[in-house]
Amino acid sequence: MNGEEQYDVVVVGAGVNGALMAKYLTRAKLRVLLLEAGPATAESFEGYTRQLTHFYGVKAKGPEAPWPPAVAAPQPDTHDIRTEGGYFVQKGPNPHASSYTRYLGGSTLHWLGVALRMLPEDFKLRSRYGVGRDWPLDYRDLEPYYRKAEFDLGVAADVADQAHLGVEFAEGYDYPMRRIPPSYSDQMLSTAVDGMRVSLGDEEFTVKIRNYPAARNSIPRGDFIPDGAVDERADGQALARDIGQRCQGNTACTPICPVQAKYNANKTLAQSERENLQVLTQAVASKVNVDPVSGAVESIEYQRYEDPGSPRHTVHRAKGRVYVLAAHAVENAKLMLASGLGGASGQLGKNLMDHPCLYAWGLTPSPAGAFRGPLSTAGVDDLRGGAFRAEHAAFRFDIGNDGWRSATGAPDTTVADAVNQKKLFGRELVEHLASTLSRQIRFSLAVEQLPSTANNVTIDPQYLDSLGNPRPVISYQIDDYTLGGMSAAAEVARQVFDRAGITDCTNSEEGTWFPSISHGDKVFHYHGMGHFGGTHAMGDSPETSVVDADQRSWEHRNLFMLGSGSFPTMGTSNPTLTMAALTLRTVDRLITELSS
Amino acid sequence: MSDRSDLFLGLSALLTGFSRVQLLGTGVADEYLRTLRETLPPDVLDGLLDTYERLPGGDQREAAISSEILGDSRLGPVARNLILLWYCGSWTALPDDWRKSYGTSPLDTDRVISAASYVAGLQWVAAGAHPVGARQQGFGAWALAPEGGTG
Repeated sequence: MNGEEQYDVVVVGAGVNGALMAKYLTRAKLRVLLLEAGPATAESFEGYTRQLTHFYGVKAKGPEAPWPPAVAAPQPDTHDIRTEGGYFVQKGPNPHASSYTRYLGGSTLHWLGVALRMLPEDFKLRSRYGVGRDWPLDYRDLEPYYRKAEFDLGVAADVADQAHLGVEFAEGYDYPMRRIPPSYSDQMLSTAVDGMRVSLGDEEFTVKIRNYPAARNSIPRGDFIPDGAVDERADGQALARDIGQRCQGNTACTPICPVQAKYNANKTLAQSERENLQVLTQAVASKVNVDPVSGAVESIEYQRYEDPGSPRHTVHRAKGRVYVLAAHAVENAKLMLASGLGGASGQLGKNLMDHPCLYAWGLTPSPAGAFRGPLSTAGVDDLRGGAFRAEHAAFRFDIGNDGWRSATGAPDTTVADAVNQKKLFGRELVEHLASTLSRQIRFSLAVEQLPSTANNVTIDPQYLDSLGNPRPVISYQIDDYTLGGMSAAAEVARQVFDRAGITDCTNSEEGTWFPSISHGDKVFHYHGMGHFGGTHAMGDSPETSVVDADQRSWEHRNLFMLGSGSFPTMGTSNPTLTMAALTLRTVDRLITELSS
Repeated sequence: MSDRSDLFLGLSALLTGFSRVQLLGTGVADEYLRTLRETLPPDVLDGLLDTYERLPGGDQREAAISSEILGDSRLGPVARNLILLWYCGSWTALPDDWRKSYGTSPLDTDRVISAASYVAGLQWVAAGAHPVGARQQGFGAWALAPEGGTG
């Protein structure tokens, strides 16, 4: 072991939360060490472009395709779910079907960019509906930080679309950029569907195709300047504000936005005060050392490797006044457990959640212009809240602009079917594909999941990675509450298809393989949304939670754990904006504390 | 242009429904001919091109390609693979029974030929779209009605 540095704050993980920490703490003149397990390839424009070219050339074009892991920093891959191999050790009974990325920039490198706020009722699920848990803070506490996060991430939306289901905005506020233009298929669906009524239990809802807030560059409002591509160079260039810029419709938000019009955490990192920031990439945090009496963290051990293709490494130790784990819901829990810091509450690593998601796909009655634009631009949000949540999960639909690509592997599979099954060739083939591909439409039905201690991340000394660090051992089950939500979601999707004249082609036999689960006489095939949460849930008591409302560890008062691991419940919004808001709230408190 | 390249382009145009000029414009025609040469047992490619060369012209051509090439147990799967290659930019492993009858090769696996071939896939053109992650249409173009759209 060698090397020991002293910082104000040691941050583990350079995703959105670690980057926001670095940006604001360094600007407040605090000295920050940022440890990132993965490589820094994406911080230069050329490096990022090489990842894009890598994506072009690989057969499996899943969310992880452009971002192969370093040997020393393995990561889950959704393709491993089928083979039961890979980084996660899945104990079942259902596989957790999501992934994340260990790179400088984290999973924001391949996120979709959906930046929804949570609903006010999401924070009070137990009091309102008798299920799940309440958060130790509410929507009003977070609202100012949502606003700030929307500017930090660069979110495009119109308040006029978003003020519903109790979501309120500050007087006079609007998002920093105008909404991303709705796709042609959104407009078609809107004409056909808006105003239709659906029932869930005794409640009636009016459905509307609604543009969603996206962290993708659009037309700025006022004097807001969108962030373009990142180009970190030795001469100090960091953020090339005018490069890339506006969304150009690459239909590749996931797994890689070629022009970096979509937010990634390297944009935030590039806005740090450089003289106060030390970034160490290829540095895997392996142990949190604490004072056995006070419980205070004394140092973090990390393993530094030079060659992403090799497990050779050296061990170092970093010291600070305060420590921040922002490594991911699973990695945070894993690191604490590996350090023997499971804690007295028994909650660390428990309550693992996701938004298990179903696909529904069909053919529109006339060409809808599929395979153009951002991956999606609109959804159905009306069933995210309501009294039915006492009985079953809430859900939201995302309406794809990429045909059946994620559901069946189109257009390749559509071509293969036309050539090998339908025996088409020549002009007939062209005409068939022209009329079919353009009419493909896909809904993602993302369903809420409640916290359960049966769903968890643990470690086991028999499952180690190449550096000797534990691999996450995952136990996961989708319960009746979520299955009830899946049932309702599938039924509403069917009704929306009917109303819009869409021929339902949903057929798991012809779709891409996904894990299945039965509910009565129904079988659902689900995939993950990459929304890991709950593993270090916040609460108002050390007996029942891991961190407090500031994301500060109850047992280690100079330790903070950031991210969706802090979420007591998941609601139905994609978690990134909420975790960014929580982090910005924690930043405020830390700056006050450390600067005094 | 060699005779083989010329025959290959002519056959490809007939199979894909795209013109020779469009196929040449992709920039990957040579790469695909080379792929066939490297991937298939040696006599198969020659058999394919020679059979194409002997096809009658005019109105009988399409019917002849169906019976002589696409309907042939040895050449049919290869010709269909060639269509997939042009449309998707990737090679698809030939069916097991074909490999048993006509031979195997280490390159006969599911694979994208190259980054350039992925981007050059004709499927994106047929869809009236662009390759995912490349040749994007520009801000807001996705809001416009596609060709044949009702708007």
